[in-house]
Amino acid sequence: MANERTDLMQGTLELLILNTLARESMHGYGIVQRIHEAAEDLLKVEDGSLYPALYRMQERGWIKSEWGVSDNNRRAKFYKLTRTGQKQLEAQRANWNRISKAVSRILQAT
Amino acid sequence: MKIAGLLNRFARNKTALDVDEELRFHVEMLERKYKQHGMSTSEAKTAAAKRFGNVERVKRQCVAISRRNSLPQRMLKTITILIALTGLSIRILSTEYRVARIGHVLIVIAVCARLLIYVRGLSPTPRNYEKPECW
Repeated sequence: MANERTDLMQGTLELLILNTLARESMHGYGIVQRIHEAAEDLLKVEDGSLYPALYRMQERGWIKSEWGVSDNNRRAKFYKLTRTGQKQLEAQRANWNRISKAVSRILQAT
Repeated sequence: MKIAGLLNRFARNKTALDVDEELRFHVEMLERKYKQHGMSTSEAKTAAAKRFGNVERVKRQCVAISRRNSLPQRMLKTITILIALTGLSIRILSTEYRVARIGHVLIVIAVCARLLIYVRGLSPTPRNYEKPECW
């Protein structure tokens, strides 16, 4: 299985994070776990690479964070989608659908 | 300028501590998960470190990104706007040429300062930005 793991395409991480946070606020560990679970561990990623993306998204105002308490009573930083982030998610989702549809058509045609 | 420097240092230290705590939480959660899967403490530590990647590199990247929008940076931006507004008011309200010139000078100072802040914000590379290896 390890050999079949795929690198994540450039720019898709933000979409995955936005999509994960659309359901509920989460800490970084929770976000990564949710992404790995949904992708059935097929993506080849280092967990730490998530954090610079989270900080960049926060800087752009797509998400906001606050310290809270995790399930195991530890202090953890929780991230939440903002209204701008919600709009960004819709835009990125539409863009992704367009790209994947176009690539599929090309692959079927050739 | 000293106050801005102190504020900067304080904000940077606080950010670094917050990032450190956040990343440590993640690594410890990974270790916990691996232990629950039957690994020994040392095996879990190794596996968690491998899964997370270079903690120090990630920490440096996060602090560098946070710094771009830190409190002192926001204060500097606000001050430049205030200087520009003051300059503009003096320019509009003054009838004397010499006083109006002070307004001009203030506007130029504010615009230059704002440009400098903008240019510095554009380039995260000089100090401690490193490109992530994946994602």
